[in-house]
Amino acid sequence: MRRLLTSTAIVLTAGLAQAAEITILREVDSNNYDPHKTTSRAASEVLFMMGDTLVSLAPDMQTIDTGVAESWTMSEDGTIYTFKLREDVQFCDGKKMTAEDVVYSVNRWIDPETKSPVAWRAGEVESVTAIDDYTVEYKLTAPFSELLYQLTQSFGTIIDKDNVEALGEDFGITGFNGTGPFCWAEWTPRDKMVITKHEAYAWGAGFHVNTGPASMDSITWQIVPEENTRTVGVITGQTQVTQYVPYIALEQLKASPGVEVVQSDLAFWTYYMGFKIDKETVSDPAVRRAVNLAVDQEAMSEDLFFGAVKPAYSYVSQEALDWNVGLDDKLLTYDPAKANQILDEAGWVMGDDGVRSKDGVRLAPVAYVFAGSTWAKISESVQAYLREIGVDMQIQAFDATVAWGKLATQEFDMYGMSFPYVSSGDALNLYFRSQNAPSPNRMNWIDDKTDALLLAGATATTDTDRAQAYGEVLELVHDAAVWLPLYHEPMVIAQSTELETVVPHNIYGAGLYKGLDLKFKE
Amino acid sequence: MIDQILKRLLISIPVLFGVLLLGFGLLILVPGDPAIVMAGPTATPEVVAAIREEMGLDDPVLVQFGKYLGRVLQGDLGRSLISNKTVVSELAAAIGPTAELMFACLIWSVPLGIGLGTLAAVWRGSILDRAIMAISVAGVSLPIFFICLMMIQFLGVQWRLLPFIGRGGPLWTIDGLRHIALPALSLGAIFIGPVARITRSSVLEVLKLDHVRTARAKGLSERRVILGHGLRNALIPVVTLIGLQVGYLLGGAVVTESIFSFPGIGRLAVGAILSSDFPLAQGTILILAVGFILINMIVDILYVLLDPRVQA
Repeated sequence: MRRLLTSTAIVLTAGLAQAAEITILREVDSNNYDPHKTTSRAASEVLFMMGDTLVSLAPDMQTIDTGVAESWTMSEDGTIYTFKLREDVQFCDGKKMTAEDVVYSVNRWIDPETKSPVAWRAGEVESVTAIDDYTVEYKLTAPFSELLYQLTQSFGTIIDKDNVEALGEDFGITGFNGTGPFCWAEWTPRDKMVITKHEAYAWGAGFHVNTGPASMDSITWQIVPEENTRTVGVITGQTQVTQYVPYIALEQLKASPGVEVVQSDLAFWTYYMGFKIDKETVSDPAVRRAVNLAVDQEAMSEDLFFGAVKPAYSYVSQEALDWNVGLDDKLLTYDPAKANQILDEAGWVMGDDGVRSKDGVRLAPVAYVFAGSTWAKISESVQAYLREIGVDMQIQAFDATVAWGKLATQEFDMYGMSFPYVSSGDALNLYFRSQNAPSPNRMNWIDDKTDALLLAGATATTDTDRAQAYGEVLELVHDAAVWLPLYHEPMVIAQSTELETVVPHNIYGAGLYKGLDLKFKE
Repeated sequence: MIDQILKRLLISIPVLFGVLLLGFGLLILVPGDPAIVMAGPTATPEVVAAIREEMGLDDPVLVQFGKYLGRVLQGDLGRSLISNKTVVSELAAAIGPTAELMFACLIWSVPLGIGLGTLAAVWRGSILDRAIMAISVAGVSLPIFFICLMMIQFLGVQWRLLPFIGRGGPLWTIDGLRHIALPALSLGAIFIGPVARITRSSVLEVLKLDHVRTARAKGLSERRVILGHGLRNALIPVVTLIGLQVGYLLGGAVVTESIFSFPGIGRLAVGAILSSDFPLAQGTILILAVGFILINMIVDILYVLLDPRVQA
């Protein structure tokens, strides 16, 4: 009888024990979850949790830590990386991960057949070879100093060849077998993605409080496009976490019982307006410098974003790896009087209508921006500042589905953009290489010296050489004032107080990174 | 009856062709390049060009339409450019939730609308009549998104009675019922007004007719006169209106589903159009048109059942 009662009690207790499940709200879904075929932040958010990379990036955005590789070495000439893999890593289906999986993953990433838009991030690969079951040799044709940082991105996720071949075109759509702390459970496009705990996971990097398995039994990534619904969703406890809250609601969220707002000190997502420098309205560096001096980023941060973003005067965060500290005192800050003086000296004459012109060219640059409230208020604010110095910026807003196409043309003088990055080199190599014009080098910044320095930075074998080369590029482009930096966006996460406080990460805007430290308070 | 259904089905064929043509044409005319959407913001022009070629987007428009028509006739609506899932499977997953939402909306709003309209007719000119008509005017006038936001504000946020994000499961589950309640209440709120108004005027007309006077003369109770002789005969215009309004409800569902993140056809259509997902957008437009045609056909059949004279 006693045994029966005990058994009953155990069964009842087990029945009462609640699974640790949370819902995370976000604005948009990804087009797929194939790490080589999508560049969306929405994909990275989930791929970081479902998969692993060779190495990982600590929240300081500088320290490379272990991933599925427990150690690595680089040859003296910087062309050969040898990764020693952990022997306890396994995929969600229970299969052991070996060097062959790493080789397959990188080869698929760079294969032209894959048509990966981010294949360049893997470097100029000569070969990737499995030396033995747990050793991989990653051979480059030229050194790539950014390699380890690029390998932390979700594009470098280790995938399972059998899974890819079995699913074919449906890989990352109907399933994904990864080695991350969570496993694919169910995806309903544009609605929700459900991932469940990978019970065997025990290989998280040391900077996580919990190295595995995850504390959460399952996570539901729910798509809620309407920002007010997301906000009240957190306030009412219908969701436990979201990083997609409007700035206007931050104070309300902070004041709400049951809600905690955490914000990272770092901000690796930068908003800027670029100049197409061969257009006659903005080809004059004096105009571009004047525009930079005319805009008050600090006031914009306060007035438009309630002080939640960092005013930007630099093209990448000044905390980013390889930022040139020598530029700190040279950055262009708000000084409309000087802006007017520069334009006067450059021969741009103020007309009766308050707009300057020179040699028959009216200073009325056309700016392409994304439709939506964020860019509407940014561009209108910039427009108002520029009117003060006689620049009549013409705003043309396009829906995101149209905007990317329009931004690949030569039709505009200025454009609005935002982007994530892991380091200065990451941003510079993407946007300032001559070969990347007209997109993503939408400025048409064609400069041999920049290309040589970017190459020197990319192929540097020491941190000092790399920082030196990228530092010079930063100086070149800042001197030329090819962008108008606006603000650096820090990672802000609104979470339930039922959860332990999360540490916001800045990697590719995926604030929860591996999700290992998501945990209900005890 | 069967003749009528067949006739209706035949008439639907050119309508559906028109819908296909219009849906295809509109999406072609809208600026935007799905290849760029697929490739992502950092893709080079070469990658975009390769994707365009692979997707057949470089073909002439007529060729694209011809291929599309051929596939549709074989029941193949293509694959979503965004999720790469078949359009049919995406539609199949979304039809159920939308049907549930329609059902949950109609199950309370139609009886309530008819009831309120009848009450207003019976007590014509009273305060009750005026109150009901005021409510119905409000229901007709208020935009659906405003009603949705008010529902969230009061029932969801302030009183915390009901959830307002997503679908909790099938309608017959507790969680499913809780999650569908607010969208169904919001959508139903715009339905009550027109139904109440048309019921009121129709009942008023019928109550003046000879057979009602005869029923009263026979000494039947007022309740039996109204329910048995008045309301039934007053329902024909009400059914017509319900048929038309259900079509408009599909439009309201687009907004409602978007605000409540309810994974139905309406939300699917908005997502597809906003992301230049041509095949899926065409599929959702087609399915909404088919829904509209089916509803009209059901209404025609109901006419006959309610009033056999219509068949003649």
